[in-house]
Amino acid sequence: MPNHRLSSTDVRPAEVVDSGTDVAPDTDRPWIVLVWNDPINLMSYVTLVLQKLFGYSLEKATELMLDVHNKGRAVVSSGTREHAEFDVYRLHEHGLWATMQREDT
Amino acid sequence: MARKNKGPVTRLDATSYSLNIDASDRTTLNSLLDQLRDVLMHDSSSEIARRLFPAAYHQDEQHEQEYQRLMRDELLSSRLASLSLTTSLLERETTSDSIVLTADELDALMRSINSLRLVLGTLLDVDEDDFEAHLAEDDPAYGQYQLYSYLGWLLDWIVTVQTEFN
Repeated sequence: MPNHRLSSTDVRPAEVVDSGTDVAPDTDRPWIVLVWNDPINLMSYVTLVLQKLFGYSLEKATELMLDVHNKGRAVVSSGTREHAEFDVYRLHEHGLWATMQREDT
Repeated sequence: MARKNKGPVTRLDATSYSLNIDASDRTTLNSLLDQLRDVLMHDSSSEIARRLFPAAYHQDEQHEQEYQRLMRDELLSSRLASLSLTTSLLERETTSDSIVLTADELDALMRSINSLRLVLGTLLDVDEDDFEAHLAEDDPAYGQYQLYSYLGWLLDWIVTVQTEFN
């Protein structure tokens, strides 16, 4: 996978505008888990880990792995903050470069 | 490290595998695992440590500190447990160059080999665009790149043997 370093990627939380109407409060937005590209992890290994941890089919895991490889990152799961932390932890256990953030940030 | 025609890992049945590397390779791997254990236990600030314990929250220092406070020790324990299991299986007595592994042992081996690659790749600042150039014998880091290449070859076999029958 190409050398795409997390530290060089500028991901900033979006400014939250409270209109006081029907905009979902910030706390309602789910968290997403991202896997970032790195030059070390094997593509085959990333695919297997995504299958193993999330139960994805080979086709889905391969598609996500290729997104990581070609676009620099991919969203691999989403949910509550606690669930996202659990997924990030499991990905870190397997040596993948994963972070979490609120959706649409 | 020798690379045989027979794969370094083969599937025996639905729940067991065979690791087919000779004693000298197993000794070398265990020496590397000892060094990795030392890094995990004593290095908390280098580039290598940051790669083994990456941030969970990007640009969110408050959440990140809380996450690391709660999860770092757990991640360390998990990595050390994998290393311990891998070391014990590599030291297993055998009359041949093969060791029978359970699925859990193969998983521990896989994660340990990947951790070694992460450390070595970080040390070498590996860039796949010029990786091949470093495999020339006159390259100053030739030996380290050979080792990195060997670990990649072994890891790829470990992955393949788990996926080929799925």
